[in-house]
Amino acid sequence: MDLCSVKARCSVPKPCNHLADYKLKYGRTGYDSLRNNFVTGSNGNTIVCMPDKKILTCFFCNGYHERLYLCLICSSVSCLDHTLLHTQSDCGHDIAVDVKRSELYCGRCRDQVYDPDFDSAVISKYKKDLIVHRNAFESIGERSSKRRRLSSAIDLDLKKWKELSCMRDQRAKSCYPMGLRGLNNLGNTCFMNSVLQALLHAPPLRNYFLSDKHNRGACQKRSLDRSCLLCDIDIIFSAMFSGDRGPYSPAQFLCSWWQHSANLASYEQQDAHEFFISLLDGIHETENKLRDMNKGAGDCSCIAHRVFSGLLRSDVTCLTCGFTSTTYDPFMDISLHLDPSHCFSTETTNKGSKLNGSTSISTSTLVGCLDLFTKPEKLGSDQKLHCQNCQERQDSSKQLSIGRLPLALCLQVKRFEHSLVRKTSRKIDWHLQFPFSLDMSPYLSSSIIRKRLGNRILSFEGDECDISAEYEIFAVVTHSGMLESGHYVTYLRLRNQWYRCDDAWITEVDEATVRASQCYMIFYVQKMLYHKANDEIGCAPTSSRRDSLMSVVGCC
Amino acid sequence: MRHSVNRPPTPDAAEDQENVPTLQEIINIKLIESGEKERLMELLRERLTECGWKDEMKTLCRAFIKKKGRNNVTVDELVHVITPKGRASVPDSVKGELLQRIRTFLNSAAL
Repeated sequence: MDLCSVKARCSVPKPCNHLADYKLKYGRTGYDSLRNNFVTGSNGNTIVCMPDKKILTCFFCNGYHERLYLCLICSSVSCLDHTLLHTQSDCGHDIAVDVKRSELYCGRCRDQVYDPDFDSAVISKYKKDLIVHRNAFESIGERSSKRRRLSSAIDLDLKKWKELSCMRDQRAKSCYPMGLRGLNNLGNTCFMNSVLQALLHAPPLRNYFLSDKHNRGACQKRSLDRSCLLCDIDIIFSAMFSGDRGPYSPAQFLCSWWQHSANLASYEQQDAHEFFISLLDGIHETENKLRDMNKGAGDCSCIAHRVFSGLLRSDVTCLTCGFTSTTYDPFMDISLHLDPSHCFSTETTNKGSKLNGSTSISTSTLVGCLDLFTKPEKLGSDQKLHCQNCQERQDSSKQLSIGRLPLALCLQVKRFEHSLVRKTSRKIDWHLQFPFSLDMSPYLSSSIIRKRLGNRILSFEGDECDISAEYEIFAVVTHSGMLESGHYVTYLRLRNQWYRCDDAWITEVDEATVRASQCYMIFYVQKMLYHKANDEIGCAPTSSRRDSLMSVVGCC
Repeated sequence: MRHSVNRPPTPDAAEDQENVPTLQEIINIKLIESGEKERLMELLRERLTECGWKDEMKTLCRAFIKKKGRNNVTVDELVHVITPKGRASVPDSVKGELLQRIRTFLNSAAL
């Protein structure tokens, strides 16, 4: 991590000349004398009040609709236009305070300015006011939900202030991306930890829970059944994004998930992909129960489906008459085969190749696996399908393609082979090369069908065109070791830096390490969402009081 | 308006009597004194966040700052540019809800 650029982001902007002049002349006396005018309301906003006037208006025009500013030199209150005139006509009266926001404003620069000394004056009054509020509530002994919300917000605030004071020492740590935190292994639970890490940083899922779309307070399932999987997931999100960097134990969630997937409830080693599917299924069921709905996978709007669900198109062609029947099936992830017999062949894909299975495709790359997945496959003679045209069972070929892409795409590499014939299971250890940027357009139905039929004017139903086909990787779940005793580790890509999440241990790693790893589940998200998420998970600011207040008490 | 250099002048007694508060001003005072204005502000903030208006404005601000360059933008400029767009894009449902609340308040407050 480039420490220099990180430090720059966390520092205070330089004061303008006018603010610097003001400080030289008056120092902190102006701010300190204002301290008693700061009043913190129950919503956490600190405003400036004048003792003699309850309602502030512009001295010159009596306006009160616009922002009002209090001049630091002469204490006159004026609207923006009159503040600017005031600055022009009265020399030295440059700096004012926005009364509704307690922020400094420079009338000469016509811009907001910042001074840590001013902020600390506001903060000290804010702290005092909070303690008074809290004491007032406690002495009244009222039990109202608003009070509980406020006092928990106050507790959080006071904790945050303690953190702020030792923030300088932890500046390096606090500049890691938000949500980066280890997960304790509760007994062979690396399969769960690895998938949780990936899901915690799936931008659409993360945004859903962090914007409180599942409100634990209002959750009906929780009050009726005493446990709700979505609430427990929400708890994990809150804990992981709390700013605390020590490892977290998702014990309550584990319990909740056991209740849902009773057949998997044990301390034995389990399959991460199985856990992933069962978790998505649990989210789907829980949301449907909450909304008293019974939606199938195709039209469900639960968060699991909204994020991961796509549509797979299957074309079955009769090899006698050419008649093709098409079906669509929803999918939550795509499982790709690593075909051993094709491992060492060279790649030969011809445009418009005919349906003869002789073209061999290399599968040592993810793209090769996707090619194999969408390759037309001649069904065996024991799998003759009924052709509607010929009215009898005929030899057919089947081809898969993607009818609709999801927001986040999970690709599973089938490394665990269970052979019913030989009654053995084994793990395929070959290395698979996977890209960090993936373009899925060659696998869309439109591309696949065009390849088969040549350039025709074809209409494709569905909103294929609405969703972009460019993806960026954000997580890889890797497996090392043997089938029965192995270990899962997740690599996360946050702000273009890779982190290795090995249960409780998080370390920065370089790209080469990730590329060399044995991928098992690869998570991609649409390119735009990836870049947007990168903007959002910046480092926690250390010196700007404003931002930390906002994130805690929710004032805008 | 040019007043004396370092101190705003004491308001003239005669001037004051001519300034009879308008109905708008009276309503504003009543709203603030009863605490209703603060509650309405909170409600508005909540609604505008819920419907994504706040995020939209944030995006507009970011785009504007990106275009002009981080060091070439002042708060005044930003407010000046964003305000008309913001006012125009407030959803009708939010406007309606707040107007209803204000109407209810006016009916209940003895004016």
